[in-house]
Amino acid sequence: MAATTGQGRGFTTFLIGLLITCVGIAYYSTGMGKPLLALGLVIFAVSLFGFLKIKPLEGKTPMKPGAGAMKLIGAFLAALGWVITLYGMHVVDGTTGRLILALVGIAVSLTGMLYVLPAAFNKNAIWKA
Amino acid sequence: MKLMQRCCFLILGLGLLVGVAAYGQAAAPAAPAAAAPPSAVELKDTTAKAPSTADLAKGDPAGTSTGTVSDVPVSDSKTGLTLGDVASQVGQNKIGINFTWTLVCGFLVMFMQAGFAMVEAGLCRVKNANHTYMMNFFVYGCGLLAYWMIGFAIQMGGAAGNSNLGGLQPLNTEHPISLFGKTWGIFGQNGMFLAGHTYDVGVMVIFLFQMVFMDTALTIVTGACAERWKFLTFSVSSVLMGAFTYPIFANWAWGAGWLSQLGSNLGLGHGYCDFAGSGVVHSVGGLTALAVALIVGPRIGKFNRDGSSNPIIGHDISAVLIGCFILAFGWFGFNPGSTLGASANGNLRIGSVAVDTMLAGCTGTFGALLYMWALKGKPDTSMSGNGLLAGLVAITAPSGFVSPINSCIIGLIAGVVVCWSVSFIENVLKVDDPVGAISVHGACGLWGVLSVGLFADGTSNYGGGWNGVNGSVTGLFYGDASQLVAQLVGISTLLGFVFTFSFVLNLGLEFFVGHRVSAETEMAGLDIPEMGQLGYPEFVFHPEPEVMTHAHAMAVA
Repeated sequence: MAATTGQGRGFTTFLIGLLITCVGIAYYSTGMGKPLLALGLVIFAVSLFGFLKIKPLEGKTPMKPGAGAMKLIGAFLAALGWVITLYGMHVVDGTTGRLILALVGIAVSLTGMLYVLPAAFNKNAIWKA
Repeated sequence: MKLMQRCCFLILGLGLLVGVAAYGQAAAPAAPAAAAPPSAVELKDTTAKAPSTADLAKGDPAGTSTGTVSDVPVSDSKTGLTLGDVASQVGQNKIGINFTWTLVCGFLVMFMQAGFAMVEAGLCRVKNANHTYMMNFFVYGCGLLAYWMIGFAIQMGGAAGNSNLGGLQPLNTEHPISLFGKTWGIFGQNGMFLAGHTYDVGVMVIFLFQMVFMDTALTIVTGACAERWKFLTFSVSSVLMGAFTYPIFANWAWGAGWLSQLGSNLGLGHGYCDFAGSGVVHSVGGLTALAVALIVGPRIGKFNRDGSSNPIIGHDISAVLIGCFILAFGWFGFNPGSTLGASANGNLRIGSVAVDTMLAGCTGTFGALLYMWALKGKPDTSMSGNGLLAGLVAITAPSGFVSPINSCIIGLIAGVVVCWSVSFIENVLKVDDPVGAISVHGACGLWGVLSVGLFADGTSNYGGGWNGVNGSVTGLFYGDASQLVAQLVGISTLLGFVFTFSFVLNLGLEFFVGHRVSAETEMAGLDIPEMGQLGYPEFVFHPEPEVMTHAHAMAVA
């Protein structure tokens, strides 16, 4: 399908939704803030569902669905590493202990990012077909 | 005998008395004398000696009569020039110098967009040139709009207190949370649409400077996903990144957020230190690029069935190298400009920052070129360009805190890291990154963040401290291991938060919009289907190699 007027209209709607949402946030404490925020979010949601509607028109993309659960596990591991590092700052006082826990956290994040996620996406990659 | 002893004591006593008296006389002038303020008479005399209008009308070829006391504005013409007038002018001059410095450096950074466009488009095939250039062009608008609407407020809305730019007092509301008995900044709240109190001269300067930094991060992603990223999804993704992903981390590091408070709250050095953005700009861009590149998948024909990869050669190496030079030029705005001033508060270190930047770029080039030449047989052109950028990316965080020798080491290591990383990402992860953006900006950005914790030499002193902690930023090799921990916490946040946030956000866009163009579009080249015209309409296209057509048949089967 490539670029179409439908995509252009969808992107315009998306921008208008974001703009009105932001105006609503900026003036949240005033009388008009909350209605504008609600209106903006509605337009925002409409734009997303508009995108969903025109998505199949794109045609056959050279992608196959990967392992969905593995993707979530990979993202979870990446985030878990960060939590380990942060919690380590709280439970340990010494510099050495914090250093070790920070490195453990980084290692866990990297496992999710560089091992689990690529494996999830490559499991059914088109080049394997 | 006794008489002699008495005489000796007498002489000794007299000597002591004379010595004490002499010391008193010598010490007296050293005592701080109260500085006598210039009297109104002195100011009037100076004013009277200033060249007259008639003198100035004769011209001033030597430049000795232009810019005198008569150019100092007088608040009350009846009393004439006062000390208050002079002091106000000094303050205006300081802020004026810093405004000018920051703005000009911001203009240089803005020009880096041209460099990115040339590098990325040059490394792509000719059939995608218009699309790649257009992504680099439009990302500027997408990012700017989103940043003006909400991104700037999230990042800098609580960043008041920078005396270089007059205090930035309208940006005084950071949303805090209390955790583990401490208060931590999470996001700023002032400055949406630059309206209300943030319609302020200082805020405008910091907005411009921070905006061009943000746009640099956004444009990194376009390189990693070039030649197959749907223009619509790119546009939406870029708006969301400029509105949320970048500003959140930038607030934590630069906008009075929790990473900058690691020093004051937990005693971890000076907190997370990232002078000009190896982490904030480049790692955020590089890690988001990795997240999107994973989702969007490799180009048709990039990998064979056995997992081996095929080189897909870019169409214009001259554009790549000219783009690299434009980027290196713009980096002189990126790093030295991050002092946010040239006057007061230790800002004269700008010369050192600029030289560090230059040297790291140089050794980065050598690192990559020699690695490729010695181990692969050729001084690879595109990898040499990436080596220059890798050195520049790596020195961005430590440029304000390290010596020239250390900057050379940092750049050299980055030049080698980028070669390893490109090979690892392509051959081990099977992630297709046409321009090496994930390696240049992601991997070398993380190395730059780490290097602050290793190489900061404790000689910088920006107004007495950094991130509210007195003293100079000092790394492990100069005696402060806690600074290294703060940097590791920053790296963990980049990997654990920024990457995951970007990944989930773009996975959502994959569901609603879809990142990838169709196989037909990709094979035809994105220029006509996505942009409506070719980048080079008078070029004659060569047929794709057989490996590509075979891969296409597999892709659409």
